[in-house]
Amino acid sequence: MQHDAEAMPLNTQSYGRTLAPEDTLLSVRGLKKVYHTDGGDIEAVRDLTFDLGKNETTCLVGPSGSGKTTLLKCIAGLLEPTSGEVVLDGKPVTGPPKKMAVVFQEYGRSLFPWLRVAENVELPLKTAGVPKAEREARVAEALEEVGLGHVPRSYPWQLSGGMQQRVAIARAIAYQPEVLLMDEPFAAVDAQTRADLEDLVRKVRKDLGISVLFVTHDIDESVYLAERVIMLSSSPTVVQEDLVVDLPAERDQLNTRSLPRFTQLRHHVYEQIQLAKKGFRPDDAVVR
Amino acid sequence: MKKTLAGLGFALGLPIILVSIWWVSTVNSPNFFVPTPPELVKTFIEVWIGPALWEDVLPSVLRFLAGSAIAIVLGILLGVIVGLNRTLRDLTEPVFEFFRALPPPVLIPVLLLLFGLSNWTQIMMIVIGAIWPVLLNTIEGVRAADSVQSDTSRSYGIQGFDRVRYQILPSASPQIFTGIRQALPIGLMLMIISELFAATEGLGFQVNQFQRRFAIPEMWSGILVLGLLSILVAVLFRFVERRVLRWYHRLKDLENAA
Repeated sequence: MQHDAEAMPLNTQSYGRTLAPEDTLLSVRGLKKVYHTDGGDIEAVRDLTFDLGKNETTCLVGPSGSGKTTLLKCIAGLLEPTSGEVVLDGKPVTGPPKKMAVVFQEYGRSLFPWLRVAENVELPLKTAGVPKAEREARVAEALEEVGLGHVPRSYPWQLSGGMQQRVAIARAIAYQPEVLLMDEPFAAVDAQTRADLEDLVRKVRKDLGISVLFVTHDIDESVYLAERVIMLSSSPTVVQEDLVVDLPAERDQLNTRSLPRFTQLRHHVYEQIQLAKKGFRPDDAVVR
Repeated sequence: MKKTLAGLGFALGLPIILVSIWWVSTVNSPNFFVPTPPELVKTFIEVWIGPALWEDVLPSVLRFLAGSAIAIVLGILLGVIVGLNRTLRDLTEPVFEFFRALPPPVLIPVLLLLFGLSNWTQIMMIVIGAIWPVLLNTIEGVRAADSVQSDTSRSYGIQGFDRVRYQILPSASPQIFTGIRQALPIGLMLMIISELFAATEGLGFQVNQFQRRFAIPEMWSGILVLGLLSILVAVLFRFVERRVLRWYHRLKDLENAA
């Protein structure tokens, strides 16, 4: 970077990274999504190819309206891509896979208001036929993991926004996924709570040894959380850049965020997103 | 305790005033068509506390219960099926609107012709009249299922009957109860009307008989029975609704307070 002569070079490339099969948990190949509307076709996602590694957090950042949610829904098996495919553990995703859990942005609408906290966490296990004793153990463990062991009998709407999102995370954990998809999960909570929840995501990922795919429009958040940041262009979406975040594995809000490397990475992502907003698109992304 | 007493005072205040007015205006000017309150109470006890309770009131009530229960179950069942299916919804909407607009009593002669005079004809009458609010409200409640809740169910593999049971029905339950609240008075009304047309026993039949025999206080006492029955039904409904939808009322209270 021109303003910081001593900065280490960034490990980055202008197309999505593909990994060796043994390191790959989830593959996205040539994903394209066109919405057919009365007003004509809208190409939300043009061509996306990247792999998600095991045991890591990948953040997807992009300007607003860059098809992030569309992409996540395609990966989650909630939307059918127009072309291309998503492969999890070697199997193409055609519907919501068992090994995947989703945390939605709208926690207030994702948690069922007629169920208590523990019942919300328990429901997916109940319908999957998990025996009662095991169910209860997994629910208690998951609530403990997110720091909500004390409110199992409350209703979600009696809790603060941050706590509700913790319930949603607990529900995802109890489901024992290999991949956790998170769609701007902290966009609606205050900054303080947000920092706590970011640390929670890092802790959960490490404790459970799962992979997290985290969609956000917050640049700081993406660099702080991720081992890898995939920047998306504006719609119709392609991968703008795939950046390795080589920060130490142990992170904390105060020290990590004041590291020169953090500032440098954050700077870089910021610049790329600004470029994306202006409509810049990497030439070779479509070719790949 | 104080709150309960105050509530009771508000509930009984206007009835007490009305009964007082009725009393004052009838006590010194005997009218053949309007009995005085003590006269009515006396007749009420004489006529209805006894065999009439089993022979007339009970059959009516049982028909009402059977008809309403069938209407509610069938209405919810059909409502869920139609509400979940867009094609079915578009297909059935005009037909449902037509039947709903039809005043159910006009079907009484038709049903009598087709099925003759029996308990089942009368129960069917109640079902035909009471099912529409349940059915249409269920369809609407199911159709309005939240998209994020539905995405949540899908991504966690909650589908088919499980989804209906754990997501669709609870989320539609406030609307379903609105339908049931509208259906119950219709059921009571049809219980009486079906007995007025053609019956050999029942509350409506007896009131009609009393009127024909100019047994005026007896006729009024029958109306009183019906009134009390309606109140009982409303109280029972409220009790059940408060319990089943407790989460909903508390959530709304919280939203309103904020």
